[in-house]
Amino acid sequence: MAKKTTQPIQRDWLSKTLAGVLLGAVIALVCSGWFTQLNSEMPFAIRGQLAMWMVPPIWLGVLSGTYFFGSGARAWLWLGAVSVLSGGSLAVLRLA
Amino acid sequence: MVGCGQCTQRRQLGSAALGLTHNVFIMRTDFVRIYKSIHTWTGIVTGMALFIAFYTGALTVFKEPLTRWATPPHNTQPVPLADTQQLIVKTLIAQPAVAADFSIHLQDAEHLPARLSWQVRNPGAEDHDESSTQHYVATLDAEGAAKLAQSTPSHLATFIDVLHRVVGLPVDSDANRWVMGIIAGLYALALVSGVVVLLPSLVKDFFALRIGKNIKRMWLDSHNVVGIVSLPFHLVMALTSVGFAYHDGIYLVQDKLLHDGKWGSAFQQQRPVKPVSAPRDPATMLTPIELITKVKEFAPGFEPTTLQYQQVTGPRALVRVWGKDTTAVSPRARGGFAAVDPYSGKVVNSEFLPGRQSTPSLFISSFFALHMAAFGGTAVQWMYFLLGLAGAWLFYSGNLLWVESRRKMKPRQAETLPGQRLDTRLMASATVGVCLGCICGVSLTIVGGKWLHGLVSDMNAWHPILYYAAFFSAITWAFVRGAAQAAIHLLWMAVALTLAIPMTSLLAWLVPALGMWTHTSLSSLGVDATALVGAAALTWMARATSKRVRLGTPDSVWFAGKS
Repeated sequence: MAKKTTQPIQRDWLSKTLAGVLLGAVIALVCSGWFTQLNSEMPFAIRGQLAMWMVPPIWLGVLSGTYFFGSGARAWLWLGAVSVLSGGSLAVLRLA
Repeated sequence: MVGCGQCTQRRQLGSAALGLTHNVFIMRTDFVRIYKSIHTWTGIVTGMALFIAFYTGALTVFKEPLTRWATPPHNTQPVPLADTQQLIVKTLIAQPAVAADFSIHLQDAEHLPARLSWQVRNPGAEDHDESSTQHYVATLDAEGAAKLAQSTPSHLATFIDVLHRVVGLPVDSDANRWVMGIIAGLYALALVSGVVVLLPSLVKDFFALRIGKNIKRMWLDSHNVVGIVSLPFHLVMALTSVGFAYHDGIYLVQDKLLHDGKWGSAFQQQRPVKPVSAPRDPATMLTPIELITKVKEFAPGFEPTTLQYQQVTGPRALVRVWGKDTTAVSPRARGGFAAVDPYSGKVVNSEFLPGRQSTPSLFISSFFALHMAAFGGTAVQWMYFLLGLAGAWLFYSGNLLWVESRRKMKPRQAETLPGQRLDTRLMASATVGVCLGCICGVSLTIVGGKWLHGLVSDMNAWHPILYYAAFFSAITWAFVRGAAQAAIHLLWMAVALTLAIPMTSLLAWLVPALGMWTHTSLSSLGVDATALVGAAALTWMARATSKRVRLGTPDSVWFAGKS
């Protein structure tokens, strides 16, 4: 940890912002998918509304945190990995 | 924000001896720098739009009192509650289509011209656009026959609400809500980044309000205090607004990906339908008084205000008994409702009844209630009003700090003043013009509601005209005369227009021949009193500003005196 931080943090405004906006949306949708999946006993109308409402905070939360990454490439790598793993496992669960 | 860089540096020096933590602090200052850029740019892009949203939003909390203030008096005596069943039956005979959806108003207030009313929406209008909706009312004449008529409720408060919903744009359309959503998203970023910037020096800066020579320091301290104290309020506003802006899109995507295309059926009624061949007779419904009694037995603290009848002649006849319970969370701005079967009096659904919701429903309701102050009664409404105004001030002060941070100081030995940068001069003018233009426009459109009544055929069309006339004139003036002078002129203009609100009511009471009116309900007089206090506050600002403009430091965009 200490070694990495001796390098200045890359600004990479465009790539970090794109990672936050695009992958943030993916992660937020996947989270809402997990929520829907794990609360199937909840009435549909309520479950669906809660799933919608959880998207903005997660999406904007990811976007707000993106600028802590050391570079745009790292932001894409980490957030991409989270998206693929969480989204992929949800897809497998839903198809199984 | 300025102080924290120095402070972190100082801490770095102290911890340099420890070596290990040194890098963490470098990292930390770098984060602060990055997030300060984000805070600056998201703030400057959204500040003025958010000022409008918060100023008009604070007023929207008191939408009903504003509507009551602006509604001309009517001389129709409301049908007594005891005779309302007759009114319903006779109205439905005269106009069977009304059975689909109509309302019975239980209160007597200035803005409710009759006991029974209904609306006909323009099928071409967008979801949230109410401007083309037609309103009708029904009363009983002297012979006891139903009299149906079109009504034109005041759109003053609705228009102020539209300005609030779409950050100052004229129509609450899908496209404009997209714009609002982007502003709200950037606003969320501005909040998070502001906190990241302030965190390292929070303890030092939060408890400090350094009033003194360094005016910028004082503004910055105040900006930080107001921002941190009202942070929960602002986070709620930012996140719910993004939800309000993009819910349709999010639902659409989730329907495709998660709900297998079944979302459209989620809100269909689950009640079994009894096969009914002929239309049911509304005369056999329980009377409004009986329905209210049933609901009050079911939920003792609930105060009903409106009965909304739906499909009363069909197999799924339903009455939504709307009302409020100040001890509970209301799912919507207007309150919540118990769904009652009007023929049996049975409460069929309490999912939207304040205090009776299931935990997940309550959670959803809280997003609306926390945004719209639909909990806790009048005290909470006043708190939201003040938090809204404080929010407007927060954005104004943010823009001001942006300008001040880019100020060119005169070196002590220099003879001539340095010219201020063009971008700071333009930003100062824009801030003054937009913010004060919004205040002037809102006051003008409120006052105009009384003065133009009877002189123009369509008062509701004039509310936007009055607002935008003042708004754009103020912006033009601010650019023509420069921020410093325009600020004084526009503040006095805002004082005059805001003071005109209670003065108009006073004049209307003293000189009835003018054809205006003065309502004496607490709500309506509250509007006058609030405007009076507002005018006093604006007067104080106008005096303080003109003092600064004349006597402040000359090397500033806010100076217009003799140097």
